[in-house]
Amino acid sequence: MDSEQREVLEVDFLFVGAGPASLSGALHLKNITKEKHPNLSIAIIEKASEVGAHSLSGAVVDPISLNELFPGLNNEDFPFEHEVKKEYMYYLTKKNKLSVPFIPKPMSHHGCYIASIGKLTRWLEQKCEEAEIDIFAGFPGSEILYNDSNVIGIRTGDQGIDKNGEKKPNFEPGVDIHAKVTFFGEGSRGSLTKQLINKFNLMDGKNPQNWAIGVKELWQLPEEKLPPGYVAHTLGEPLGHSLFGGGFMYSMKNNILDLGIVVGLDYKNPHVDPHHELQLLKSHPWIKNILEGAEILAYGSKTLPEGGIYSLPKLYVDGAMLIGDSAGFLNGQRLKGIHLAMKSGMLAAEAAQIALDANDYTQEQLMNYDTIFKESWAYKELYKVRNFHQGFEKGLMHGMANAGIGLFTGGRGFGIYNKLSSEDGHIHMEKPSPSFDKYDNIDYDGKYILDKLTDVYYSATSHDEDQVPHLHVNDPSICIDKCKEEYGNPCQNFCPANVYEIVDDGEERLQINFSNCVHCKTCDIMDPYQIIDWTTPQGGDGPSWKNM
Amino acid sequence: MKILVYIQSAEEKINPISLESLASAQQLKKEKSAQIHAVTFSSDIANKLSQYDIDSVIHVNDNNLQEYSPLHYIETFNQLSSELNPDLIIFGHTYETRDWVPRLSARLDIPFLSDCVGMSVNDTISYTRSLYQNKINTDLSIPSGSAIISFQSGAYKVDSLKQGSCNVEQMNVDLSSVENKIVNEEKFKETDGAIDLSAADFIVSIGRGIAKEENIPMAKELADLIGAQLASSRPVVDSGWLNHSLQIGSSGQIVSPKLYFALGISGAIQHSVGMKGSGCIMVINKDANAPIFEIADYGIVGDIMEIVPKLSSAIKEING
Amino acid sequence: MKICVLVKQVPNEDAVIKISPDGSGIIEDNLTFCTNEPDTYALEEALQMKEAYPDTEVVVCTLGKNTASQILKEALAKGADRAIFINDDTKYNDALSAAKVIANVLSKESFDLILSGLQSDDDGHGQTGLILAELLNMTHASLVVGTEIVDNKIRVKKELESGWFQWAEMELPASISIQSGLNKPRYASLKGIMGAKRKPMDNIERSQVEVVDKNNVKMENVYLPEKSKETHYIEGDSDEIVAGIIKVLKDDIKAI
Repeated sequence: MDSEQREVLEVDFLFVGAGPASLSGALHLKNITKEKHPNLSIAIIEKASEVGAHSLSGAVVDPISLNELFPGLNNEDFPFEHEVKKEYMYYLTKKNKLSVPFIPKPMSHHGCYIASIGKLTRWLEQKCEEAEIDIFAGFPGSEILYNDSNVIGIRTGDQGIDKNGEKKPNFEPGVDIHAKVTFFGEGSRGSLTKQLINKFNLMDGKNPQNWAIGVKELWQLPEEKLPPGYVAHTLGEPLGHSLFGGGFMYSMKNNILDLGIVVGLDYKNPHVDPHHELQLLKSHPWIKNILEGAEILAYGSKTLPEGGIYSLPKLYVDGAMLIGDSAGFLNGQRLKGIHLAMKSGMLAAEAAQIALDANDYTQEQLMNYDTIFKESWAYKELYKVRNFHQGFEKGLMHGMANAGIGLFTGGRGFGIYNKLSSEDGHIHMEKPSPSFDKYDNIDYDGKYILDKLTDVYYSATSHDEDQVPHLHVNDPSICIDKCKEEYGNPCQNFCPANVYEIVDDGEERLQINFSNCVHCKTCDIMDPYQIIDWTTPQGGDGPSWKNM
Repeated sequence: MKILVYIQSAEEKINPISLESLASAQQLKKEKSAQIHAVTFSSDIANKLSQYDIDSVIHVNDNNLQEYSPLHYIETFNQLSSELNPDLIIFGHTYETRDWVPRLSARLDIPFLSDCVGMSVNDTISYTRSLYQNKINTDLSIPSGSAIISFQSGAYKVDSLKQGSCNVEQMNVDLSSVENKIVNEEKFKETDGAIDLSAADFIVSIGRGIAKEENIPMAKELADLIGAQLASSRPVVDSGWLNHSLQIGSSGQIVSPKLYFALGISGAIQHSVGMKGSGCIMVINKDANAPIFEIADYGIVGDIMEIVPKLSSAIKEING
Repeated sequence: MKICVLVKQVPNEDAVIKISPDGSGIIEDNLTFCTNEPDTYALEEALQMKEAYPDTEVVVCTLGKNTASQILKEALAKGADRAIFINDDTKYNDALSAAKVIANVLSKESFDLILSGLQSDDDGHGQTGLILAELLNMTHASLVVGTEIVDNKIRVKKELESGWFQWAEMELPASISIQSGLNKPRYASLKGIMGAKRKPMDNIERSQVEVVDKNNVKMENVYLPEKSKETHYIEGDSDEIVAGIIKVLKDDIKAI
């Protein structure tokens, strides 16, 4: 199929995606092998034009993995915003907020730090460069290379292909990077990871992954309105009782407010629009008050794998391992995934070291990854979570808290991690209701409450217009012939970036405004017909996030 | 203060942008009692210029200056400057200005504030420049010493020039020392070229409100009648009706013409960042709440399908 | 032939520019940076000349703060041979002041050609290349949309107003500012990126450059161009509206 003459780059180990999992994995691998194998070549490829530009998270970070990776450093040395000092949980009604008096210990952020994943990854990138790990930003992984069923590496994306698929004068073919082991650290719903999982049936016997979407904005407050180290989570309005998720507010340095909402991607109502839910959250009088005089800095969105331990795929095949959010190591209940992503990268690195010493990179060797994982605190943490509600069977206070938090999980209590939901989220979707009017009264003032297109502008996302759209809809006739009637074309609602539009310019058709895409992967997950395939666009294209 | 204003001309026609900049000097004459001397290399133009309210016209007559020749122009101004010691030398920001005036700035060792969009005169004079592709403005001043300033097309209006009368003075320069290492050949036009919308004085721009591809000729007709370039917002290009080279906005071109006539454009921020610096924004849109009205100078809430054809007919009548 | 390409690091063009609370500048924290787009065309032109005349050295140079060395690495990855980094985080308010520093550094070598982008996406002075022509005693051309090396001269196609063009023949050494769109800038290949690490980059601190900044342009402030805009609505039936529009087009705009 591919007749292109491609360069081959040989490395020892290759990480796809320069997120916390890959960066930690690569650094740890370098550290533990440098004595015995001083000239190991370790490379990381990243689709964004610079590390961190496509990274988005809340975030409140548990420093445990950073402490392990950098034993000589203190928490003050890490690129955090503030240590969590004051944490609150509120149940919001339309006008008021009720304090949830007791925050269950596992959900407490005590000893953790508010952080920007963008800053963290850039900091880790520097450490990697000092360790002589090659990081290639602007190079997306576009194809997995095999030798039979052995993963032998990754082909990077071609550059300079026009919208008709023809080569432009500056065409540069992608490179075949060969590696002994390829680590898939593409983040939530990784595009190559998805292929790998399907090809090797890595989800056999596992729960399907449960996903959520996080939509957030950064606001410059005019002065200090929230104390440093302030963390608040909200339940209740605007999501109500039928939607899983909740709001979050973290205070960053320089009076920057990090404000967002998480919405579970297993809802029934096809009208649900996570961007609009965020605007409703900001419309709450309490939050409106905080935002008074503030200016928006940035907007972005990403999905999260919430399924936990029962939704982890098989983590290894011949020549490859899955790490970070691509596998699904996130602890949804603690609302933390970064420390687990980092740890998973480090555990995979340890398995790679064993394989290196045995000079054997088959899955029989890489199975050590699973073994080491099961012996680690990461496993214990994720395992503990599914028994969480046991801790809440004593006493009224506990019960109240549980009830409060039960609203947060759409009435499922903390059973999000048990086997209650054993189906893919997108199949819950139902027919659109003609009387849906939740979003009709959103007062878009253009200053604090922003319409979707304006928010897209603040995501600073851009794509070369002259390329084949990276979002493949396998049968667009379904959009008008079937989906319109069955679901009311929900892609227009669940996409936080106005990528999908049904337009009528003589005939009705699906228009894909791919250059608005913020790479969240919601469409790939939530499309009820599963005909949307998110693939990597040209290298460097996408959001330009700095401190998200 | 003493000001020289260079008036560019070609084939006995004064360059309009150049002429506009004379108005800035007149503002300084009024508010700072400045002395203004227009400079030209053409005797014809010198006579025309003597009818403005300035202190004198300086006509430099030399064969080497009859066609644009940067090295000769620079040496000319070098000599004028040593003789006259101007505080300011003002230009219109034309293609020619871009080519030689930076070099003059280095020759005279004085700063050149180029492409200024305005000037404010208080105790100090500050010159406004536009940064980050029209995203923000900055005011600059020259605490001491001379400077060169060029003004963007539209920063001043030819209308505001005051008439008057003054003498034409002849001045001579010695250009024998100039080695002409830059030899310009004949000018020519090219039929097929990418349209540079940023050079257009007037733009008629269409948006989603145009509804169908068949309606575009209606807008094109209006554009042609007023000598405007046709352009559009994103949706029109996305539908494949116009080429991407005509797209205005954050992922297209950024323009600031004298007139931006928006037909059926809603004014999403991605579009408005591409045109909000325009001299005059005139908007026709059916939806009174369209955000574009917030940046419009003239707003018409109405149906472009009704208004535009009538407008075109009325213009045809006027043109005769 | 020895070519110097001037490049500048600027905020990404989609960046949302915010003004710092005291109005003294912009907030850089949230910005991502890249090579000034017009400069990428200048670099590509130089690299194509190198391909046509193999005995050519392409030296890429920038004046900027610490992070600016990144764009030099990218240029080296694309094929430039050597880099000169003038590490200077001074905020220059005019083009001449910065250009003098660059000229001082470049004068230590003798370049046949200096190529620069037409103007920068941040300050947009559009002067640096031409100032260097004067300071380094070179010929110059701006708005160049085509180049041809002929013996030891260069012919350039210049863009003029209103769709006109003109060729000019100039003696070397020459400094040329390149109009965007004349070529398709190449991408850096992976091998190029790896190779870039081995290419030389001269680091020069501002303090090492013997140029005294005259400081004769003062920046008063930066602000958003708020037009105190009153929207004048033209109302009535369609005939009245047309009449109202015509009045504006005739009297104010002078379009008819």
